[in-house]
Amino acid sequence: MADRLVSVGIDVGTTTTQVVFSHIMVEDLSSGFTVPRIEIVDKRIVYRGQIHFTPLLDDDAIDLAGVARIVEREYAQAGVAKDQLDTGAVVITGQTARRRNASEVLHHLSDYAGDFVVAVAGPRQEAVIAGRGAGADVYSKVHGSTAGNYDIGGGTSNFALFDQGRLAAASCLDIGGRLVQVDPATRRITAVVDKTARLAQFVGLDLAVGQPADLARLERLAEAMADLLAMSLGLLPKSAFYPQILTEPGRDVVLPRPLKNLSFSGGVADHVYAPPDGGDPFRYGDIGVLLGQAVRRSPALAQVHRFAAAETIRATVVGAGSHTVELSGSTIEYDADQLPLKSLPILKLSVAETANGALTAEAIQNKLDWFQVDGQRPAVAIAFAGPRSPSFAQAQDLAAGLLAGARDLLAAGHPLVVITENDLAKILGQSIRSRLPGRSGLVCVDAVRVEEGDYVDIGTPTAQGRVLPVVVKTLLFA
Amino acid sequence: MKLKTTLLGKVYSFRDVKDVLAKANEEKSGDQLAGLAAETAQERIAAKVVLANLTVADLRNNPVVPYETDEVTRIIQDDLNEPIYQSIQGWTLAELREHILDDARTADDFRRLSRGLTSEVVAGVCKLMSNLDLMIGAKKAVVTAHCNTTIGRPGSFAVRLQPNHPTDDPDGILAEVMEGLAYGNGDAVIGLNPVDDSLGSVSRILHLFDDFKRRWSIPTQNCVLAHVTTQMEAVRQGAPADLIFQSIAGSEKGNEAFGLTGAMLQEARDLLLTQGQATGPNVMYFETGQGSELSSDAHHGADQVTLEARCYGFAKHYQPFLVNTVVGFIGPEYLYDSKQVTRAGLEDHFMGKLTGIPMGCDACYTNHIKADQNDIENLAVLLVAAGCNYVMGVPHGDDIMLMYQCTGYHEAESLRQLFDKTAIPEFDAWMVEMGLITPQRRLTERFGDASIFLR
Amino acid sequence: MFSEPDVRQLVTAVLAELLAEDKAAPSAAVAPDAVLVEDGQVPDVTAVSTKDEFHVPNPANREAYLDVKQKTVARLGVWRAGPRYNTWSMLHFRADHATAQDAVFSDVDDAYVQAQGFVAGQTVCQSKDEFLTRPDLGRRLNDETKERFARELPRGAKVTLMVGDGLSSSAQVNVPDLLPAIKQGLAGLGISLGPVPYVKYCRVGAMDELGALIDSEVVCLLIGERPGLATGESMSAYMAYRPDPDKPESWRTVVSNIYSGGTGPAEAGAHIATLLKRILDEKVSGVGLVL
Repeated sequence: MADRLVSVGIDVGTTTTQVVFSHIMVEDLSSGFTVPRIEIVDKRIVYRGQIHFTPLLDDDAIDLAGVARIVEREYAQAGVAKDQLDTGAVVITGQTARRRNASEVLHHLSDYAGDFVVAVAGPRQEAVIAGRGAGADVYSKVHGSTAGNYDIGGGTSNFALFDQGRLAAASCLDIGGRLVQVDPATRRITAVVDKTARLAQFVGLDLAVGQPADLARLERLAEAMADLLAMSLGLLPKSAFYPQILTEPGRDVVLPRPLKNLSFSGGVADHVYAPPDGGDPFRYGDIGVLLGQAVRRSPALAQVHRFAAAETIRATVVGAGSHTVELSGSTIEYDADQLPLKSLPILKLSVAETANGALTAEAIQNKLDWFQVDGQRPAVAIAFAGPRSPSFAQAQDLAAGLLAGARDLLAAGHPLVVITENDLAKILGQSIRSRLPGRSGLVCVDAVRVEEGDYVDIGTPTAQGRVLPVVVKTLLFA
Repeated sequence: MKLKTTLLGKVYSFRDVKDVLAKANEEKSGDQLAGLAAETAQERIAAKVVLANLTVADLRNNPVVPYETDEVTRIIQDDLNEPIYQSIQGWTLAELREHILDDARTADDFRRLSRGLTSEVVAGVCKLMSNLDLMIGAKKAVVTAHCNTTIGRPGSFAVRLQPNHPTDDPDGILAEVMEGLAYGNGDAVIGLNPVDDSLGSVSRILHLFDDFKRRWSIPTQNCVLAHVTTQMEAVRQGAPADLIFQSIAGSEKGNEAFGLTGAMLQEARDLLLTQGQATGPNVMYFETGQGSELSSDAHHGADQVTLEARCYGFAKHYQPFLVNTVVGFIGPEYLYDSKQVTRAGLEDHFMGKLTGIPMGCDACYTNHIKADQNDIENLAVLLVAAGCNYVMGVPHGDDIMLMYQCTGYHEAESLRQLFDKTAIPEFDAWMVEMGLITPQRRLTERFGDASIFLR
Repeated sequence: MFSEPDVRQLVTAVLAELLAEDKAAPSAAVAPDAVLVEDGQVPDVTAVSTKDEFHVPNPANREAYLDVKQKTVARLGVWRAGPRYNTWSMLHFRADHATAQDAVFSDVDDAYVQAQGFVAGQTVCQSKDEFLTRPDLGRRLNDETKERFARELPRGAKVTLMVGDGLSSSAQVNVPDLLPAIKQGLAGLGISLGPVPYVKYCRVGAMDELGALIDSEVVCLLIGERPGLATGESMSAYMAYRPDPDKPESWRTVVSNIYSGGTGPAEAGAHIATLLKRILDEKVSGVGLVL
C-alpha cells in the first residue's frame, strides 16, 4: 500500500519567487515476510506555481508581506491547506539570502508553510538542491559517470557535482543575470552590484549606473562571467580575479573526479539551451539573456558534454519540494509526542568513540559542552554509524553508554535523540527504554547519515507510524 | 483393457489406468510421499509392460482427473484434433514409442502427431523411454514460437536472464541485467521473480527493463513474474510487458491453489494481443514443476509425471512463447537426488516438446537436496543435446533471491560453443554489434564486461 | 571525507589495478587480492565478500562497475577463463555450497540445546533423511516429546517462544542474540516468558501442535531456513495467534532473513517483540494482521 506525503517547495530567489507542490510516494518494498522496508518510490510534481518577481522593499530588504501574499495565493490556487502538508522546504537563495531580513522571512515562511516545513539556506546546499531538481544526480547514476549542474540565477551560480548518484562537490560563485540591471524602456543601466563592477574593471570595461546599456560591452561582461564559470570547472586557467568571485571566500570548486557531463538550470539556463530568439536581450531588465548566450557560446564550457536539465528555471524550487526529505529506517523506536523536532544540531561520534559504552559516554559528555550557549544546554541529536548487526550485549552496552553520556541533556528536559547509519535503532531504542522505565522522550532512528555541523529535522510518523521523515540540513541560515 | 501381467513368475495386477501410470514411473520420492509408487523394482517394470500394451484410446478415455470435474482435463480433451486421434487411437504405447523414435519422423510429423495426443498419452509414452530415448524424441520435435524474436530454431539456443535480487533494488537488478547481457544471456527473456509482487513494484520493474531494452536496442522480451492478475493490471495501466507469466498446475484444483483459472489466462493473452507492445502471437510464459500438485493436495491420486504432462496440455491452449519446468526447486521430498532431477528434466522437456510447446528448462537444485553444480551442468548439456529451447542464466549459478542454484551466466556461451549453436539470430547480431563476439562468434575482450553498459 | 563504501571501493579498485597490471600471468587458484595470511598458508577463498571481489581485467568503466556491485550480493565482475568461470570464483562458489550443505545435513549439537536451557523434544522423524523427505512427519511431535512439553511447559501462556532446527543447523547461531532481544522487548511491554521448548527435526507446522498442546495464546517459532548459498545461518520467526493444525499457513506472520548479513538477530528480535504484542492485542496473525 502506497502512502503519500504532500510536500511544498518555496524558493525566494534573487529575481524570482516560486512555489511547487509535490506528492512523495512511500511504499513498503518488503515481501511481507521480512522486516518492513519503507522507501520513497516516486516523486510527482502536482502543482507548479507561477514565476513571480521577488518583492523587495528597498535595496536591502525583502518585502515579507509581499512574499507571504504570493505564497498564500499559490496555496489557494493549488487548493492545498497548510495542515495537509507533511513536509517541504523553504529556501532563500542567491542575493536574497544576504538581505538584512532574510532570516526573519525564512522563519516566518517556514512557520507559515506548515508544521514540518524546513527552512534551508546556504549557497552549497542551494547548489545541491538545484542539482537534484535539475536531475544531475539521476543522470550521473544512469550513465555510471559524473554529472554536474550549474544553477545560474539572478545573483549566484551554484554548482553541484554528482558521482554515480552521490553528491561529490558543491560550491558557489557570485555570477548571475541580475547583477547588472537595465531599464528596458530607457535602455540605461540602473544597477550594478559592486563585485560585478570590479569584474568589469578587471576585464577593462567601464561600467556605471546611468550609462546607456551598450550591447557589445555587456556581452563582453557576460563572456567574462562565462569564463569564470569555466575556470571554476578547470576548463580555463584561473585569472587573478577568480578568487574574488567565490561566494564563500576560500571555498573553491574541488572536483574529486573529472567532470564528464554538465547541465544548466536557473533562470538563465533556458538561454543556454535555446538559440537566440531575436527578442530584446534586455526584456527582463537585466543581463540574464546575455549571460545565457555567453555560456551557450563558450568554447571552454563546450568541452564538457552538455545534457538537458530535467528542470531549468524551477530546478531549485522542485529540488526543495521533492528532494530534501528522506526516510528513516523501518525498524525504529520513538515517542510520537516528541515529534516533530526541528533544527537539532548534530553531535557526531566516530567509530572509535562508540567502540563501547564507556567510550561513548565519555565522548558525549565532552562534546555536549560544545553546544552550550550562555550556560544553557540546547537539545542535540547524537549521531554515529553504529555496528552492523550488533550483538544483544553490544546493544545493552551502547544503550547504557548513551544514557550515561546524555545525563545532563535528559536532566535539562530534552529528549534523547539518537541517529545511526546501520540498522540497529529498534534494539538500541528498546535497550534504552528498558533503562528508562516510564519515561517518554526517546527518538531513535537509523539509516540516516549526518555529519558534524549538520542540523536535522525529524517529522511526524508516516506509513502507519513505521518511519519518520528526516531532513538533513548541511548549513543552517546564520 | 488388460491391467494384469506376469513378470518372472509373479502376477501383478493394477487397479486402473491411473495406477498403471503411477507405478510405471521411474522412481520419484514424490510418488512415494503420495503413496503411489511401485513397491518394488519388479513391480515398476510390470507396470511398464502393462502400460506398453495399453492403447492411445485407453489412455485418452481414462484421464487421471474426470472431464466433468476438471477444467484442465476439459481443455486438453476439447483441444484434440479428432481425425488425427482417430488415426492413432488403436496404437499401443509401445508402437507409439517406436513411431516417435523412428528415423523417418520429421518436425512436421510431430506437429501433426501432437494434436492427436492427450497428456496421459504423452506421459504414458514418456514412462517407456530411457533417458537417451527422451533426448532423441525431443530433438526431432522442433517447436518454435515468436514474441519479438523467434525461439526454438534448431541452430539456436537461448537463455532467460534472471536478475533476481533479495530486495528488488533497481540498481542491483540492472547491474545483474548488464552482467547477464555481457555474457550473452537474455535472448529468451529478461525476466525477474520479484520479492514484492505488488502492482507498483511490478510496473516499476517493467519500466526499468523496457527503458534499458530501448536504450540499448536489445532484441528480446521482458517479463516480471508476478501473479497473472497483477501483471494484467500493470499492463492496463500502461506498463510495458512483452510477456505475461503464470505458474500453472496439471489439475483445476492445483490451479486454484495458484489463484488461477483458464479464463484468466485467456483474458491475459487477449489483453497482451490487443494492448501489449510485443509483436506476438506468442505472449505467454508458464512455469511448471513435478510435484506442485501434491504439495497443494491437488494431485487426485495421480503421479507427478502425468500431472506434469497435463500442465503442458493446458499450457498449449494459450500458445505460449516460453514454458519451462523448474526441475529441482521443489525439494528432496519430490525429487530425491540428482539422478531423479536429471530424469525429471529430460522427461519434462520431452513431454513438452511432444505436446507441441516451446519448452525450456530451469535446471536447478536447492541446498537441501543431494545434488551439486556438476549435476546441473550435466543436465544442461543433456538438455541442449536434446534441443531444449532455453535454460536460465543467473550470476555464477547463484540465485540470491530464490536461494537456489541453477545454470549460470557463463553456461550460455559454453553450451553454445559445445553444440555449435548461436543465440536467437537477432540477439546474436546484437551481440556482434555490441562487440561481445566477433561475426565468427569468438568471444572478445568485452565479453563478460558489464561496464560496457555503464556509460 | 570518505564514506566506508568509498574506501572499500578505493581499495578494491587499487587491488584490481594491481591485478590488471599482472595480467600476463595466467589466472591461478590463488587470487592476488586475497587477505594477507601467514607464510605457508593458502588464503581463505571466502574471505573477500562477493560484493568486493572483482576480476574484470580491463573494464570499460571500472568505477561504475565497482559501484553497482555494491548494490547486490550477486556474483558480478567475476570474469572468465574462455567461456568458463575463473578458478578463484568457482572455488568460492563451491565453498559456499559446502557451507549450505553442511548447514542442512548436520545436526544441531545436543550440548548446545542443553546449554541454552531448552526443554528438548523431537518430531516423529527418526533421521535427517526421513526429515528431508517426509515434511508431514516433521510437523508432528513424538509421544515422548508431547508428554514432556505438557509436563514442563506452562499451560495457557500468553506467549511461548519455541526453537526448532528446521533446514539449517547453523541458523542456531542467531539464537543467543535473538532470544534475549525478544524477551527484553516483551518485558518492556509487560509480557514475561516461560521455558523455551526446542524441537529436533522440526518443520514449521510443529508449532501448531505445540500451541494446541499447551494452549498458548501466541506461539513464536524460531527456525532455520532452507539455506541459500553462503546464507546457511538465515533464520525465520513464525508467529501465530492460537495456532492449531487446522488453521491455514496464511494464519502465520513471518519474519525471515534473520542473520548477520540480513536483518541482524538483535534488531530482528526487537521488531518481533513489537509484532507479538500486536498479535496479542488484535488477536489475529498472518494476513489478517494489517501491518
